[in-house]
Amino acid sequence: MKDIFFDLSVRSVRLNFLRSLLASIGIVIGVVAISSMGMLGTNMQLQVKDQLSSGADTIVITADAVRMGPPGSSSSSSTSSSTGITKTQLNKIKLAAGTTSKIVPIYSTNTEFTLLSTPGRSSVYGIDPDDITKFLTISNGTNIEGINDALVGSTIATTFNLKIGSRIKIGKDTDESRPVVRVVGILAERGMSSDNVNTDNAIIVSSDWYTNQYGGKDVYSQVNVIVRDISTITDVETAIDTKLNTNEKTPAVRISDASSRISSITSSLSSITTFILAIGGISLLVAATSIFNVMMMSVNERIQEIGILLSIGTEKGEVRRMFLYEAVILGILGAGIGGMGSLIIGYSVVSYMIGTTEFFFLPESIVYIPVGMAFGLMVCILSGVYPAWRASNMDPIDALRSE
Amino acid sequence: MITTPLIRFADVSKVYHLESGDFTALNQISLEIDENEFVAIMGPSGSGKSTMMNQLGILDVPTSGELYISGRNVAGLTALERTHMRRDTIGYIFQKFYLIPLLSAYENVEYPLILKYKKRDESGKATAMLSAVGFDEAMSAHRPTQLSGGQQQRVAIARALVNDPKILLCDEPTGNLDRKTGYQIMDILCSLHREGKTVIIVTHDPKIAEYANRTITLEDGRIAA
Repeated sequence: MKDIFFDLSVRSVRLNFLRSLLASIGIVIGVVAISSMGMLGTNMQLQVKDQLSSGADTIVITADAVRMGPPGSSSSSSTSSSTGITKTQLNKIKLAAGTTSKIVPIYSTNTEFTLLSTPGRSSVYGIDPDDITKFLTISNGTNIEGINDALVGSTIATTFNLKIGSRIKIGKDTDESRPVVRVVGILAERGMSSDNVNTDNAIIVSSDWYTNQYGGKDVYSQVNVIVRDISTITDVETAIDTKLNTNEKTPAVRISDASSRISSITSSLSSITTFILAIGGISLLVAATSIFNVMMMSVNERIQEIGILLSIGTEKGEVRRMFLYEAVILGILGAGIGGMGSLIIGYSVVSYMIGTTEFFFLPESIVYIPVGMAFGLMVCILSGVYPAWRASNMDPIDALRSE
Repeated sequence: MITTPLIRFADVSKVYHLESGDFTALNQISLEIDENEFVAIMGPSGSGKSTMMNQLGILDVPTSGELYISGRNVAGLTALERTHMRRDTIGYIFQKFYLIPLLSAYENVEYPLILKYKKRDESGKATAMLSAVGFDEAMSAHRPTQLSGGQQQRVAIARALVNDPKILLCDEPTGNLDRKTGYQIMDILCSLHREGKTVIIVTHDPKIAEYANRTITLEDGRIAA
C-alpha cells in the first residue's frame, strides 16, 4: 500500500527540490567525511598490521637504553654494556632460546656514503652472512662472500640506481679513509618491518666488515630470536627474561615482539582514526542544522496545510509521520549520494595516501560506508523530530488562520 | 418519544485570555439543533460566529458549560477521540476551500477515506462523490491550483461528504465565489439537506440565509434572535 503521508512528503520535497538537495549536500559531505576518514584510518591500521605481522615470529632483544650503572660504580661494567648486547648476554640468550630458535645478532648504525659523486645517507646493518638468509630475501644477486661485499635494500637501490657491482664509498666526505663496498645483491622490499630491521633504505655488510670499520666487536645493537613455533614465543621470551633480567629493578635487556609493537602502533593509529572521525562528525553536525532549518521552513510554509489536515481529522501522529518522512527522504537522498561518493572518494583517498587499496574492500574498512550512511540518516531523522513535533502540535484554528 | 438533539449547547461560554484582558467570545449560549435541520448563523464581525463554528467543529472546547454532539460531551473526549469525531461525524466546507495543495482533486476527496480506513480507497466512493458534484476523471486529476473557485468548492463538498458525516459545517461557503456559482453551491447544499444531512451555515449574506429553515443571529457572543 502506498502511504498518502509518504506521498505528501515526496511531493513536498519535489516541490522544493533545490532547497532539499542543498540541505542534503550537507549530509552528503558529512557521510563522505566520516566514511572516507574511517576507511583511511582502518586501511592505515590494516596495512601497518600486515607489514608488521611479517616478523611476528621474531623476538627483538635490545640493551635497555635507560639502564645505567649503579651510582659510584666503575664505568667499565655499566657504560659498555648499556650500549648493546654483550657476548655473555648473547650466550645466555642462546641457552634460553634453545636450539630450535634462530639467533641473529645484529650491529647497526647510520652512515653517509657517496656513490660516484652523489652523497647519500642510510642505515648500515652488520650481520653474519650465514644469518642474512635466515630472515632476509635476496631478490637479485648473491649473498655476501668477500669481506667488502654488501647487500642493499630495494628503495636505496632504486633511488641511487644501484646495480650488482656498484661501488659505494662509506663515510663522510671529510673522513680520511673511506672504505669501498661492492654491491653483490639487492634485497626484496620489506616495508616497515616489526623486527626492527628496516632494510629497504639500508646497506647490509658482514659483521666482520662492520666491526673492522666501527669497532664494538661482540657488542650488538640488537639480537633477534626467530622462534620456530609462534605459539611458544611467550615461553621463549619468559626464559630469556629470567636468564638475563636477574635484577628486576634494572633490567639488563628489553624484550619485545611484534604483537606488543603492533598493539602499540595500532592503538595510536586508532586514536588518530577516532580523531579524524570526530572531524567528520562535526561536519554532520553542521549538516544537521541545515536539515533542521529546511524542515522548519517546510513546517512554517505549510502551517495552513497542517491546519487543514488537523481540522478534517488527521491524527497528530499522522502529521508527525508526514514530516518525519520528509526528513527521512532528505536523509536517504543525502546518505545515498554520500555513500556512493564515499566509495569513490574513499577509494581515491586511500589509494593516494596509503599507496595500496588491497585492504579497501575488507569488511572492517568498507563497513564505514554503511556506518557513515546510517549516521547521516540518523542525523536527518533527529533533525526532523522537533519540526515534526511542532507541526503536529499546532492549534488547527490558528494554523488555518495563518496566510 | 423524546429524541435527543444532534447538537446541544448548554450554557456554553468561551473566554479568551488576552493581554488586554479577558474577551468573552461566546456568552452562556444554550441552543439545540436537531437532525436534518438547515440552520444559518448570522451576525456582524466579532459577534462570535467563528468561535461557535470552532466549537461545532470540535476544533476547540468550551471554557464553561457543556456541548453535546451526537449525545457525547465534547469536553470529556480525549484529543484522539475529538480527532476521530471530526473525521467521522463532521464535514467541513470553508470559505477558502482549504484543499490540500499537494494532492489532486481525486486525492483530496480520497484523503478522509484514507484517514478513516488507513488504506487507499478501492470502493470507488471518492470517484462517486466527485461525479456527484460534476467532476469527471480528467478533471479529478487536477491539482487545486488548476481549478476555478467554484470547482474547488465542489471538490471541498465532495471531500466533506465522502465519510458520510451527519453534520455539514459550512463557513461562508459562497464567500469567495461569484453570485451564480454561489447559488449553484447552495443548490447542492439544499439537496444534501433534502437527503437527510444536518446543514449548518455561517454567512453574512441574508439571501444565502434564506435557504435555511432557521436563522440564529449572534450579537456580542449572545443569541439575539
